[in-house]
Amino acid sequence: MTSKAAGSSPAAADDFASWHRLHPLSPLVRAGRQLLTIVVLVLVLFFANHHGAGSDLVVNLLLVAVLLAGGVVSWLVTRWQVADGVLRIETGLVRRQSLRFPLSQVQAIDVVQTGLARVLGLAELRLRMAGADSSGGRLASLPLADAEQLRRRLLSMARAPGAVAAGGPAVTAGGPAVTAGGPVAPPGTEGASGQADDDGADGDGAADDAQERLLFRVRPGRLAAAIIMSRTGAIAAIVIAAMATAVALTGQPGVVASFLPFGLGIVLAVWRQFNGEYGTVVAAAADGLRLRSGLVQTTAETIRPGRVQAVRLVEPLVWRAFGWCRLEVDVAGPRQRRENRSESQRLRALIPVGSRADAAQMIGELLRAQPVPSQRAPRSARWKAPLTYHFLAWGSDDRYVVASRGRVCRKTTWVPLEKVQSVRWVQGPVQRRLGLASVRLDVAGKRVTASIGDREAAEAHEILRRLPGLASNARKRAQPA
Amino acid sequence: MSRGERAGDATPASRTPSAGHGFPEEPGDAGIRWQRPSPRLLRARRIQAALVTGPAALAAGLAVGLTVSLALGLGAGLLLVAAGLLSERLLARRVAAWGYAERNDDLMVRRGVLIRRQSVVPYGRMQFIDVTAGPVERSLGLATLRMHTAAAASDARIPGLDRAEAAKLRDQLAALGEAQAAGL
Repeated sequence: MTSKAAGSSPAAADDFASWHRLHPLSPLVRAGRQLLTIVVLVLVLFFANHHGAGSDLVVNLLLVAVLLAGGVVSWLVTRWQVADGVLRIETGLVRRQSLRFPLSQVQAIDVVQTGLARVLGLAELRLRMAGADSSGGRLASLPLADAEQLRRRLLSMARAPGAVAAGGPAVTAGGPAVTAGGPVAPPGTEGASGQADDDGADGDGAADDAQERLLFRVRPGRLAAAIIMSRTGAIAAIVIAAMATAVALTGQPGVVASFLPFGLGIVLAVWRQFNGEYGTVVAAAADGLRLRSGLVQTTAETIRPGRVQAVRLVEPLVWRAFGWCRLEVDVAGPRQRRENRSESQRLRALIPVGSRADAAQMIGELLRAQPVPSQRAPRSARWKAPLTYHFLAWGSDDRYVVASRGRVCRKTTWVPLEKVQSVRWVQGPVQRRLGLASVRLDVAGKRVTASIGDREAAEAHEILRRLPGLASNARKRAQPA
Repeated sequence: MSRGERAGDATPASRTPSAGHGFPEEPGDAGIRWQRPSPRLLRARRIQAALVTGPAALAAGLAVGLTVSLALGLGAGLLLVAAGLLSERLLARRVAAWGYAERNDDLMVRRGVLIRRQSVVPYGRMQFIDVTAGPVERSLGLATLRMHTAAAASDARIPGLDRAEAAKLRDQLAALGEAQAAGL
């Protein structure tokens, strides 16, 4: 943070080519989560039993010390470098690792700040690569300004070789960049206010930050209301109701204690969702869609154009009454580490909650055409899917396939044909009896599948025969001739 | 193990073009030249089933027989053997349902009796191909070929290929994949 930090951080900025260290305070940030747990544990122990707390305290302090020492050692042996379009990270004391991340393969780059990191002005840089198993590169932690700058540099470097190596995305990169050039917000209006609202998550806005065009900003009040009216909220209501009836039946407030784990879990889930999606701002910039969100832990993410594998529109029952919906995108990338599992199971929400008009505008930004699911499922599908039949439909044009299903929660998924990895035709025993079959389109990403559910068997065969050809045409079109 | 030996004198033909015995036709099959795994796959599957059923029946029979009563133990063992024999009846149909077709731009794989599946994997989408052979497959000179794409849900594998056939197909697919490779 201070003079010591200035020495080790690439403040001079433009040369990332030499070897750099992470920020000296990063062990503290990394230990932050465990530290908090241990502090809570110590406090609980301290208040629970006064005797014997002393020895526990010593043990815990020892634990903290070991943890920090481990962090310091790992900081000492970690260094990174950007050269020749490759980010290299060397780490490990006993098991030395040298990681190479070719920037042309980068799918997205996130800047993540945990609460403690935010207080210290640090941030973590996460590279998302395409591989489904390998974990992406992580640089934890860097000073925020450096992290922002490094991200911009990496993205621009990623685009430069990408024009040669990864032809497909480079062409599509032209699309949003051109549109971004049109109604550019002057750097005093909405674009800038979006950053100001974000508590300086973007640091000192450099020149190309001003080129952003604000697309969406979530309303905090609506987000809170939406979470309460979502599944999480329903579960919370059930738990509270169960608690109330238990208290009413037994007449002892003490029974609430047995519900405590559930209650805590619910509170955590609600908090995680609110924290993660609070203040979501989406803006279009030359290097892709910029996505920033978070209350305590802030995340800034750039989704490169042409890397969106699927777009999904989710409309739960209660939200439909208000005309609200949620828009998610899937980007190819690894299923993330354990600590982020809750994040990785959900898709990234571009619009945590918004009106249909918001969603339509965003979809227009993401997709070049927007086919609607117009072909309803045949009547016999009612027997196989009595509920989901209501919204069961699909549609396509020569670029995209869209499939929708659901009754309580309507889910509509758009998949670009050029991204389709494989097509599957599936017929279960019930479907065979009814003369139906489903076709699934797999894309790279977190197991998103567009499922064209319950079509007439002949039609499903026709789809299976036609789609691979359409997909290969779309791929050829996306690639430069 | 006698069951496995009986299956040995099945027809030696491999790469039977299109519908053979027990190969269910689909209405969309027109113009697709299905190829089938080696007939020895059935023997491999039978051996695998026997290897699971035999020890399981023995263990269950001994455990029940020693702790409860001899008659019950015999019953439990026989029950498991009967279950194994029943699953053997289904094996033939399941093995017969496997098929694959090399088309111009993609590989098509079909399988399943109860739940029928057909997968189409474009050559350009293959990330890597692996050929595995377990102990039973190896002893019969068979191998399983599996294609991986960037999507975790894609599931295209062909079991019970002749080892030479599998190697040939692997090289062929790899060459085609390289020629048609597309970015993510």
